[in-house]
Amino acid sequence: MIRRATLLVLSLLIVLVWVFPVAWGLLTSFKTERDVLAYPPQVVFEPTLVNYQDVFVGGASIVPNLVSSLVVSGFTTALTMLFAIPAAYALARLDLPWKRAGGFWVLATQMLPPVGLVIPYFLLLRQVGWTDTYQGLVLVYLTFALPFAIWLLVSYFEEIPREMEEAALLDRAGRLRTLWHVILPQAKGGIAVTIIFVFLNSWNEFLFAVVLGGNTVRPVTVAMFNFISLEQTQWGRLAAAAMVGMAPVIILGLLAQKHIVKGLTVGAVKGGGRR
Amino acid sequence: MPAFARRGERRFALALFLPAFLLLVATTTLPLVYLVWSSTQRMDLSMPWMSGFAGLENYAQLGGDARFWSSLWLTFVYTGATVVLQVAIGLGLALLVLQIRFAQGVLRIGAILPIVLAPVVAGLFWRSLVLAPDFGIMDFITRALGLGSYNWLGDPQLALVSVIAIHTWQWTPFAFLVLLASLAALPPDLYEAARLDRAGPWQRFRHITLPMIRPAIVIVVILRMVTALSAFAAIFAATGGGPGSATEILNLYAYRLSFTELNIGYGSAVATVLLFLTLSVAFLLFALRRAR
Repeated sequence: MIRRATLLVLSLLIVLVWVFPVAWGLLTSFKTERDVLAYPPQVVFEPTLVNYQDVFVGGASIVPNLVSSLVVSGFTTALTMLFAIPAAYALARLDLPWKRAGGFWVLATQMLPPVGLVIPYFLLLRQVGWTDTYQGLVLVYLTFALPFAIWLLVSYFEEIPREMEEAALLDRAGRLRTLWHVILPQAKGGIAVTIIFVFLNSWNEFLFAVVLGGNTVRPVTVAMFNFISLEQTQWGRLAAAAMVGMAPVIILGLLAQKHIVKGLTVGAVKGGGRR
Repeated sequence: MPAFARRGERRFALALFLPAFLLLVATTTLPLVYLVWSSTQRMDLSMPWMSGFAGLENYAQLGGDARFWSSLWLTFVYTGATVVLQVAIGLGLALLVLQIRFAQGVLRIGAILPIVLAPVVAGLFWRSLVLAPDFGIMDFITRALGLGSYNWLGDPQLALVSVIAIHTWQWTPFAFLVLLASLAALPPDLYEAARLDRAGPWQRFRHITLPMIRPAIVIVVILRMVTALSAFAAIFAATGGGPGSATEILNLYAYRLSFTELNIGYGSAVATVLLFLTLSVAFLLFALRRAR
């Protein structure tokens, strides 16, 4: 009994550590600058909405940045799914020539260090005038979104019982129609989870956005730095911007909570029944 | 399956796979070829008149560049320390709560938060709210405990400790979740047999649990290595690679060379080194996949 209680307290402490920075950020977002800088740190204070007001409608509004993030992540996700679903199906289920090599190659592209890509893209996009454009950033985001989505989808496609498609094929349904009418409805859950993760990863991206974005396309991850300057940092506003900017991914993360282990180990664990 | 049907399937499979494949070649492989090419160029945006082919000059320069060697060393320290800490803490935690359903539930939900947070926001939160010297919580705690006040991000050694702590904070939940899942999948009768044989808890762990979850540990280690090797945003937000170059792992060094100092040719050479380092880890992963 005592052992159980100790373990419980210990795990609650760990959760506190995990949650603390975000919880403290939430508190800070309701503080005036004076309360933020108070020492010792204040837990009880008079809450104010002035930071949120500023972040939404004030001079430091991050609404345009939220729009940037939404457009870039939305288009990245749509394009990624369009290309990834057929490719993943071929890798998971069909007699694809050089399947092993192709699979490895997709996996390797997923692991590329982003800094190795951002340098050539900086030079290339400048030449075609695509820096600070949506099409430029979406193109670059495909480099991490597409391989990730392919591998995650492969693991879901492998879970679908083979009998389903064999039956459909015997019925002389075309291969494309089988994919569309039999496989896709079966993989609906996996596709939804993949969409969530691709969107989440795109939303959180920073390095490509800071180097290849600009004044027109400035995702919210980059906009946080608006509140930090050499002279002074507006902590309260920064915290409010971070809360607003991270609300979508926190909600998506909680929605996909049960699938998060799979999403994180994508490619490393052979999917489905073969454990 | 008749031969014509097989041929049909192969053609169909290629038709489905090729668009994504070609898109990936165009968006990743070609830029990387361009990166390797630009690493053989003298390309300094602040001195464009100096541009030209340099051969292996940039790589030769790496040999005598103390900042590069220190950055390579920091990459190893950062990767090694974060991976070991994540696996050790994650595994310990998973073992602790394995028997307690309620605690598992709480930790599973709590684990989501660090993982889904953008690394740049994690870095900013830690920098501003936790590690700030005058009003941060860490300072308050150490002072309250009578340990004195520290400049967590301003002192070179503490800064390195801090960025390692931030990375560990963000990604230990990952190790925990994966290891907990694989621990929970172990057959319980194994332990019954061991208990009947009067094996102590340590022996049970050492001789039963550890060998059974070794594959999961290997996966966690490799995936965490890949993440650590591409870490950028959290360090950028917390220290910017400083003070000086105290937290400047290869990613930060290549970034600063290319986009702060505008010496893109040399920055490309550093990024190329990092590229091959990461690819060797990828090969390791694939060898393991194949082995199973």
